[in-house]
Amino acid sequence: MDEQQKYLDPQTLARLQGLELRARSIVEGYVAGMHRSPYHGFSVEFAEHREYVPGDDLRHVDWKVFGKTDKVYLKQYEEETNLVCYLLLDTSESMRYQSEGTPLSKLEYAQCAAAALAYMTLEQQDSVGLVTFDQEIRALLRPSGNPSHWKQILRLMEDSRPERKTATGPIFHDLAERLKKRGIVAIFSDLFDDVPEMLAGLKHFRHRRHEVVLFHVLDPAELDFPFEQTTLFEGMEQLPEVLSDPRSLRKAYLDEFNAFVKQVQSGCRDQRIDYVQLRTDQSLGLALASYLSLRMTRTN
Amino acid sequence: MLAWLAAAAAPLVIHLLNRRRYREVPWAAMHFLMAAMRKNQRRIRVEHWLLLLVRTAIVVAVVLAVAEPLLERTGLIARSGLPTHKLLVVDASYSMAFKPTDRSRFDRAKQLAEQIVDESSQGDAFTLVLLADPPQVIVGTPSFAPADFINEIANLKLTHGGGDLAATLSRVDEILASARREHPRLVQEQVFFLSDLGRTSWAPELAVGPLEDFRERSRRLGENAAITVIDLGQPTAENLAIEQLRIDESLVTAGQTASLSAEVRNFGRQPRARQAVELIVDGRRSGEQVVDVAPGGRVSIALTHRFDTPGDHVVELKLSADSLEVDNRRYLALPVKEQIRVLCVDGRPVGGRFKSSTDFLTVALAPRNGEGLAARLKTEVVSESALLDTDLTQFDCVFLCDVAQFTEREAKILRSYLNWGGGLVFFLGEQVVADSYNRQLGPQTGPDRHILPATLGQIMEEPHYGLDPLGYRHPLIAEFRDQEQAGLLTTPVSKYFRLQIPEKSQAQVAVALENGAPFIVEEPIGRGRAILIATSADASWTAMPMWPSYLPIVQELLAYAIRGQLQDRNVFVGQPLGSLLPPGTQGDIEIQLPGGEIKRNSAGQAGADRSWSFTDTTTSGIFRAQTAVQGSAVPLLESFAVNVNTVESDLTQVTEEELSRDVWPGVRYFHRTNWANDQDTVDAEIVARSHLHLWLLWSAMALLLVESFLNWFTGRHAI
Repeated sequence: MDEQQKYLDPQTLARLQGLELRARSIVEGYVAGMHRSPYHGFSVEFAEHREYVPGDDLRHVDWKVFGKTDKVYLKQYEEETNLVCYLLLDTSESMRYQSEGTPLSKLEYAQCAAAALAYMTLEQQDSVGLVTFDQEIRALLRPSGNPSHWKQILRLMEDSRPERKTATGPIFHDLAERLKKRGIVAIFSDLFDDVPEMLAGLKHFRHRRHEVVLFHVLDPAELDFPFEQTTLFEGMEQLPEVLSDPRSLRKAYLDEFNAFVKQVQSGCRDQRIDYVQLRTDQSLGLALASYLSLRMTRTN
Repeated sequence: MLAWLAAAAAPLVIHLLNRRRYREVPWAAMHFLMAAMRKNQRRIRVEHWLLLLVRTAIVVAVVLAVAEPLLERTGLIARSGLPTHKLLVVDASYSMAFKPTDRSRFDRAKQLAEQIVDESSQGDAFTLVLLADPPQVIVGTPSFAPADFINEIANLKLTHGGGDLAATLSRVDEILASARREHPRLVQEQVFFLSDLGRTSWAPELAVGPLEDFRERSRRLGENAAITVIDLGQPTAENLAIEQLRIDESLVTAGQTASLSAEVRNFGRQPRARQAVELIVDGRRSGEQVVDVAPGGRVSIALTHRFDTPGDHVVELKLSADSLEVDNRRYLALPVKEQIRVLCVDGRPVGGRFKSSTDFLTVALAPRNGEGLAARLKTEVVSESALLDTDLTQFDCVFLCDVAQFTEREAKILRSYLNWGGGLVFFLGEQVVADSYNRQLGPQTGPDRHILPATLGQIMEEPHYGLDPLGYRHPLIAEFRDQEQAGLLTTPVSKYFRLQIPEKSQAQVAVALENGAPFIVEEPIGRGRAILIATSADASWTAMPMWPSYLPIVQELLAYAIRGQLQDRNVFVGQPLGSLLPPGTQGDIEIQLPGGEIKRNSAGQAGADRSWSFTDTTTSGIFRAQTAVQGSAVPLLESFAVNVNTVESDLTQVTEEELSRDVWPGVRYFHRTNWANDQDTVDAEIVARSHLHLWLLWSAMALLLVESFLNWFTGRHAI
């Protein structure tokens, strides 16, 4: 199957038509693309004059204006930057889970979502990079706005092997240090990990002035726990198996799970991180479009 | 049925099987599942066990509801106050008259019966049956009036007979079935047997078929009702009884000293020494003997008494008192005659000494210097043509010798005579027309008409030089045992009729010829006896009249023929009394019972004769019947003696083990040796029948609802 076709559903793309991924906060980048840096520095394109004050760098004095007016003014330039979008894709074993009747596993769904965002970003001539991780960073593709970057992203996603445990906290800390250029960090994960550690990692991203969007990818079975008969739950990521009557545990499980989601949401809220819950039985296009529309509205 | 309780393990087994049958799913959110399990482990375990318990309880409740009869028999569950039909069976056999203390067992049974009624709840109903032979239903339909019922108990009278448990059980069955139909609100049934568990009543010897019926009826009773047996007996009861009292003569005449013999038996385990036995005749003490009786042993007593006057006499033998007095007395009703009158009907009256058919007979009946019976005889001879004109009831015995044939009317008269109690003795001979005999008198005329005990076949002319006494078994010939010199065994017979006894006849062969052919055949007919001798009374067909055995044979024939008159007057408890009334009697018959009570009976017709019968002979003693005689101020009086059958004097009990093993195998019942005054104890033995069943089913339904709720509760989704 064509990789693009595998990860980019026409319906999804149709939904995303006309939407943009825009940075809400100040980002840096080199001049290109659609984003204008608000920084007024000394760069290529003249923007405006300002009166000289003692101490300014005399190299930026506009001598033509001085010749004409005998007043000393400095040139101000606008920098053109492009948005950098970092896609962080959780490829731990838990992401492999796919319940009966669900079309995609969490990983596949996350890959589709990441692919959609990558495509959008590249279409709007911004840069996008990809990091796949589990308990370690498995692959890191540096951001680029080159259209050929798209295929690399797809290939990287195709090569993902969800076999290992998760360790989001340390990974996020590591990446927060390594991702130099500020941008949007879009995380695609089920976040089945230590929540405080994970939130601490996210906080690090925020500390490094990244804008973080957390796409919480969950399977409907994890959300609803619909099991009826006695079931042997085989734990993933080296967790033990459990034989139980799900009906007797349903309420307690849902209490635990919902508390986990609330904790994540609360943590995100506290750090002004966008939290988007993605159910793998949901239309991805609809989910992303909803989020991006809302984001655009807020940004404008 | 209770084996289905094993199904109560089904929920557990299903639970365990379900745990082995599960689906396997990989699960990513294991942390949350494990956290949920950790937090709710205990609650989950409790819920699971509760659910399992409820499901098991449902199965148990349903099984117990279905196995309701078993629950009822355990007596573990107290009654719920529901109306009960209580059927009381009181043993009225005479062994219940035994007095271990100052009160008899029967008195104790009545007291306990009253107690059971007193301790019953309002709404209970009662019926009452006497275990007797035959059983008596005193209160056959449920009585809701305890006071009236207690009156009935107080009026219960002991019988002097035994107890027929099988027949009593049949009546119990009928009463319970009827009560179920008529009084459905009596949802519980309880049957009380108050008895001494005497072996003769409780261990009946029944044939295979009746035994199976009895056991099946008992088993069904045990399933439908709660049976309680209250044992009022004592394992070491001692008892002495008079077993027999008889007179050695067939008939007694006035002025005769009669010999009486009796037997005293010790049914106990202790020797009884110096027991006085008193002879009382007509209310006056006549003699006494003192005997020693070993444990389990018998002692014979011989007594004599001279009866000076003709008429009815009453002889009583009385033993010194012990704990059971009913069998300490024995009675004999004795009609004493002026003379014993014998009629000889000569079928071949020929002049000349010993030429007619009755000549030898009349000599044998009244020998010169005769003693014993012969001395009290008055013999009369008539020709056969005078038969119709003769009142046979004036005679105690009629000998018919070589009578050629009989008319229908003559046959009727002879049959009537037999019914009255007379004795007929037929000697045959040359003149006898066998066809006439068979047609008018023979067995083929039917049980109500026949007179002869056998059919006359062809005349056999073959000499025989001896008779076969057939082991001397027959009473008629018993006196000849060890008396070979009498010549019975060598009696020559040259000619005789071949006699054929019909099948299923009561006729017995007393003596046979050497070749086995019947020679003397007798049969009790009506109240009398008919005896048929295959040869002649004279020397025309046999040398018997010249033989030394002739005289004693004739005397024995007479004695045996007339003994019916005596036997009619002496019966056992439960047997009817009665007699044919001679012509001239009129009106009802008044019968005085041993306790003095007077009852009246109407006379019936037995052919051309008036007769009466009385069946209420449940008490032993002397019964006196009186009937008026036309044209006379003196009524006709007859005495009857009713004696106990001393089988019941054996006080051996059926043990509890024998009761459950032999009498009532597989029957559920309670065996008690006492009865408490405690209401709870009484109540604890009554179990609700159908309502327990209902309670259990309601419980099962409630548990089903609980199970559904618990099932939902433990498997509810997140709110």
